[in-house]
Amino acid sequence: MNNNFVKGSWQEILDWAQNKSINMLHYCTGCGAIELPPTMTSRYDMSRFGIGPAATPRQADLLLVTGYLSTKTLRRLIYTYEQMQAPKFVVGFGSCTINGGMYWDSYNTIKQLDKYLPVEMYIAGCMPRPEAILDGLLKLKKMIANGEADGYKRYEENLDFYHQNQEAILGEVQRTQ
Amino acid sequence: MRNEKDLLQLINAHFDPLKLEIKRKQNISVEFKKEGLIQALSFLKSHSYRHLSTISCVDWLDEGEFELVYHLFSYDDLINISLKTRIKRDPGIFQTAKEIWPVAEFYERDIHDFFGVKFKGNDNLEELILENWQEIPPMRKDFDTRKFVNDKYEWRDYNGQKHTD
Amino acid sequence: MIDIIYRIGHFVLITVFSMALGLLFMGIARKIVARIQKRYGPPVYQPYLDVLKLFGKDAITHGFIFDFGAIMALGGVIATLFFIPLGSWQLYSMEGTVILVIYLLAIASLGMAMGTVGSGNPQASVGISRALMQMLGYELPYLVILFALIYRYQTSSVWGLMQAQAGSFLNWNLFAYPLMAAVAFVVLIGMMGKKPFDSMIAPSEIGSGPVVESGGKYLGMLLLQKSITIIIELALFVNLFLGGAENILIFTFKMLIVWVLATMFGSLFPRFRIEDGIKFFWKWPLGIAILQALYIII
Repeated sequence: MNNNFVKGSWQEILDWAQNKSINMLHYCTGCGAIELPPTMTSRYDMSRFGIGPAATPRQADLLLVTGYLSTKTLRRLIYTYEQMQAPKFVVGFGSCTINGGMYWDSYNTIKQLDKYLPVEMYIAGCMPRPEAILDGLLKLKKMIANGEADGYKRYEENLDFYHQNQEAILGEVQRTQ
Repeated sequence: MRNEKDLLQLINAHFDPLKLEIKRKQNISVEFKKEGLIQALSFLKSHSYRHLSTISCVDWLDEGEFELVYHLFSYDDLINISLKTRIKRDPGIFQTAKEIWPVAEFYERDIHDFFGVKFKGNDNLEELILENWQEIPPMRKDFDTRKFVNDKYEWRDYNGQKHTD
Repeated sequence: MIDIIYRIGHFVLITVFSMALGLLFMGIARKIVARIQKRYGPPVYQPYLDVLKLFGKDAITHGFIFDFGAIMALGGVIATLFFIPLGSWQLYSMEGTVILVIYLLAIASLGMAMGTVGSGNPQASVGISRALMQMLGYELPYLVILFALIYRYQTSSVWGLMQAQAGSFLNWNLFAYPLMAAVAFVVLIGMMGKKPFDSMIAPSEIGSGPVVESGGKYLGMLLLQKSITIIIELALFVNLFLGGAENILIFTFKMLIVWVLATMFGSLFPRFRIEDGIKFFWKWPLGIAILQALYIII
């Protein structure tokens, strides 16, 4: 009981620190990425919440999937996601990640992001304005502080489900380690 | 600095085109038979039409033909000219323009990816934009997009109501 | 026995104090840059939270050399710290510490270089080769300045150079040899890797340079190393040109003023290419430093 209490409160401290400083890898997949520069610069400043940009997947916590994903990009995105280190979060941006959006009957884009990567939350809009992005990210911070943002654990537990869906679309995917 | 009409007269004097048309100011289009097109391209290149903007393709399914369009531009005359030709859909083979403009290799690779047209003399016809594509080339008019999407992808389930088309 | 414990306690106190102060200075720099760009920035204590979060993440290691590189970088920097007097705290004041400090500062970069060799990423190699070339650039004017000062005051320990400026504040080297102080200021900006000399950690060109493969606790250790490096370089500048200080509070205040000036200066410029940076260091700063050195000697 003592061990669990210590572990539990250490985890709470780490969750609190995680929600105060998030490194965001801006992977600009589609046209939704054009709303990210206004959010990061002077007018709707994002760095006052502790969210800053990161240059490589090894240093990043948050993967923002902005916009539609063709199958070619999905393969590279899965490689990027598997290079990030736990704890890591995925946020889907725009209506193309929810149900296909504007490209719903295209032969080359995916229709639901949920089946290939574990998504914490979606931000709706085509494209969402910077105020909507900030609202979504603040809710994400609350989820992290409460310990509810466990997408990476879901990915590890249901690995077969995700791998099966990925290989149904992409064919063969290289796995390392 | 040539006029549009002067240019059309120049082409008419040297070649045997099927159709000449002035679409609007600074924009004309000429249709050729498929044997004379490559010579017309190198002729126009030596007469100041040095810029190949792109090569595009149209699929006429009912007539059973592909139409290839070459868009050229001249910095001296400031005129856009489109050279068209038709080839039969069944073998779908044409001569490459790689010797005249080296960049034509990429445009032909793109057309091969999406329409399935083969170009003799161009041996670098790999996939450019698609990846691991196993069906028929997707921009052909007999490729059923809706059916392909319904078979391959799953729609999101909104409380038992699935997306119907 | 008590003496040894006292010494070890002294070492630990200096290290922890420098880490804490360095992280605070990094936070102040982010706030100043944000205000210059007309926005609110992160709070001043943000780097503490960054380090705490980074030590809680998993990390991937690439073998023994990668681990050892990170430890060597942090260890080298802590070793350098013990030879510089901070206010009135000084541990070693023998002759020759000035040259020893310059030599030991290079060990930090070599440690990072070893880490990048272990990781095997080509972008990291490009970043670390740029960092070492830049060190080649700024060391030359700095050594000219140091030898001139050693000749003038006939002592080569940092404590001695600091004591030689005692008396009124007009004795400071800043007012006695202002050209040399200006050159040292420009070299300070090059040492700390601020714009315009920050092509070694360029984020969009080479994916943040040598730290491209480090995540989790390695990045945390490199952040701590960076914070101590800031304190070392600022303390060296304050001791050589602003006369040091009697107690630690005035010393911190002087370091803060130099840091604020360097940050404001460094937030204005775009980035030099690495060849332009080295050529710049070998043209005007080297020339002015040599002129001032000749003036001192003759």
